[in-house]
Amino acid sequence: MATLEERVKAVTGKTLNIDPGEIQTEHSFTFDLGAESVQSVELVAMFEEEFGIEMDEDAALAVETIGSACEFIARVCAEQGVAVDTD
Amino acid sequence: MPDQTGKTESHPLDSIFYPKSIAVLGVTPTPDTVPNDIFRNILTSGYTGVLYPVAPFKRSIYAVKAYRYVLDIPDEVDQAVIVYPSNVCHKAVEQCGQKGVKSVIMISAGFREVGPEGAKRETRIKKICDDCGMKLIGPNCLGVINTDPISMLNASFARKMPARGRIAFLSQSGALCTAVLDYALGKGIGFSKFVSFGNKAGVTEIDLIRYLHKDPQTDVILLYLEELRDGRGLVETARQITRGPGAKPILLIKSGRTVQGADAAASHTGSLAGEDVISDAVLREAGIIRVDTIDKLFNSAIMMTYQPPPRGRRLAIVTNAGGPGVMATDAAVNMGLEIPRFEAETTGRLKTALPAAANIKNPVDVIGDARADRYSAALRAVLDDDNVDEALVILTPQSMTDIEAIAECVVAGSQSTDKPLACSFMGGRDVQTGIDILQAARIPHYILPEWACSALVDSNAFNEWKNSPAPEFEPLDVDAAAARAVMDSADEGYMREDQCLDVLRAYGFPVPRYKLCTSADDAAEFAAELSCPVVLRVVSPDILHKFDVKGVALDLDGPEAVRGAWNDMMTHIAEVMPQARIIGAIVRGMIPHGREVILGAKRDSVFGPTVMFGLGGLFVEVFKDVTFALAPVSARRAASMVRSVKAYELLTGARGTKTADVSGIEECIRRLGQLVSDHQRITELDINPMLVGSSDAGNLVADVRIRLAPADSD
Repeated sequence: MATLEERVKAVTGKTLNIDPGEIQTEHSFTFDLGAESVQSVELVAMFEEEFGIEMDEDAALAVETIGSACEFIARVCAEQGVAVDTD
Repeated sequence: MPDQTGKTESHPLDSIFYPKSIAVLGVTPTPDTVPNDIFRNILTSGYTGVLYPVAPFKRSIYAVKAYRYVLDIPDEVDQAVIVYPSNVCHKAVEQCGQKGVKSVIMISAGFREVGPEGAKRETRIKKICDDCGMKLIGPNCLGVINTDPISMLNASFARKMPARGRIAFLSQSGALCTAVLDYALGKGIGFSKFVSFGNKAGVTEIDLIRYLHKDPQTDVILLYLEELRDGRGLVETARQITRGPGAKPILLIKSGRTVQGADAAASHTGSLAGEDVISDAVLREAGIIRVDTIDKLFNSAIMMTYQPPPRGRRLAIVTNAGGPGVMATDAAVNMGLEIPRFEAETTGRLKTALPAAANIKNPVDVIGDARADRYSAALRAVLDDDNVDEALVILTPQSMTDIEAIAECVVAGSQSTDKPLACSFMGGRDVQTGIDILQAARIPHYILPEWACSALVDSNAFNEWKNSPAPEFEPLDVDAAAARAVMDSADEGYMREDQCLDVLRAYGFPVPRYKLCTSADDAAEFAAELSCPVVLRVVSPDILHKFDVKGVALDLDGPEAVRGAWNDMMTHIAEVMPQARIIGAIVRGMIPHGREVILGAKRDSVFGPTVMFGLGGLFVEVFKDVTFALAPVSARRAASMVRSVKAYELLTGARGTKTADVSGIEECIRRLGQLVSDHQRITELDINPMLVGSSDAGNLVADVRIRLAPADSD
């Protein structure tokens, strides 16, 4: 089963139309990956769907990098009792 | 900056207005978004340089090859326009610094205007720009427009590129910029430069007006400010721009007419010196014309831009309607213009050209049935008159009024004179075709004649100002060291009365003979020496309101009366304020009743040391009839301050009073200006009142309060 980070990269790549292999943990969604504001909102929805969680939208949109997104999603999953592979 | 001949003279801000290459960082391909609009505006405005989109993982934007980072661009980049979200802007700015970018226009919002976190982000990007030598416009701004064909730059998200003109507009508000652009478009007004500078973290209005002073494309500078951070810097810069050869007018809208906080109200000067009151006075001292509305801003700007400077204030009015002519005359006179008599030759020409029922005196009424021939003859006659400096043409649309032909004759009249001309074709739809002709020929047109008069007044005021000599500050003979020694011995807060008087004496103010006495015997002995009725005033660092604790005894005649008053005073204070530390009491002669003035000083957070003058009593308490100036104060400015209060006539012998020692008051204003300029510790100072004597008797300080900042602030 894919790790949380792999799943985040996969969702990001699909949403932004980027090869997930080019996405790195420290990449900023906007500055490095070119996410537009509307795509950032879309990403939040896609992550919710992927992990079966509900995220506070303002807090989620404040997340800047892939790595921070992984930490944020892991925390929400733990709070909402959703099991994910964080290795 | 490049001039019309193509010759270039390098200026640090050239990279903002004349970049050879621009990268837009954070462009998106989605139309109707700010990043996309900015890129498209630059692309379609006719920009003469090279444009690069920076858009990660996009191949191109509008068929222009895109780059992931500014560092990936193979060529030099002069200017970066940044539209990333605020939380990643620092990364973009860092890369710009590495790339050697010369200027950054930071459109993005989310900085100081949103609170402390945003302020931190702003400080961070400013530091990077400073460290890398990059000029920063913004953040939180609309962008920059330059209509000079050499550049043709529209690095903004304004909807349209404005027409080319000779007015520069600088604004702290981006939203106002878009409204102004639309307004100007409707009025046919063009711009040379157009800058929204937002939070002004880097380049400020002072930098920009300095640049525009030297800009050959700009004749008039318009400025909209919400916040004045360096008022003194603005005043000092404006003084250099608005006077002498190459002088340019600066018209300002400063919003936020508020009063200062409660601690400023601790003294008279503080309570009267609301930020806006000081702003009004000192901006005027810099030759800045302050206006309240966008209409007035452009009314005056087009007069100064389109028409030659007036030689004087004598206005001729030509009208086809008596009522508007009279209203215009009233407005002109009330605003400070003159309605001169015509020369005999002019009267003769008007008599020949106009029907018998016409009014051939100023204002000239060519009567309601006038057609273009009458307007033409009247206008040419008054413009040829040596008693006339400028003319106003008023038209009301009547059935036989040939509006377009009259507009054409006004244009012809304007082309044959070097005197400024203004028009008011009153009405709306019927006169529009005439207005269009006037605007196309750059004849300032105003819906109301009063607006025309106001614009002519501003034009005259600027012309008089630019030709007036710059202020000269002649230092007076003072003992600054003695004053400093007194202040060095004083703590933060209000100084003791004896210390205040010592400071004033060191600066040559007319203070009464006084002594700080420490015993009843000491006081009685000094009273005997004065040999006149005296006043006894307690001195204590703990007593601010002496009368409340019976700490003042008046009109004491002789040593025994002084001794008795001393004992009563000290006994009473010991009862009501046992904790008060008593230094002693001041003994001085009683000061006779008379006319009173107030002199004040305040260290303003925006303008630095300022001084205030007004007549005392009701005039200051109720009417707030006071005036302010920046310190130090020149002799000419001191004289104008005294003459500018409404109650000035009371000093000049009105109602049978003796002429006051006005020159003595002026000298005290200058001494006060010098005192607060020399000593940074003085935050507030009130001489209230100063008794005004006759010109042969002189003036006398009756009471003074001085408030000091902590000792290390000097």
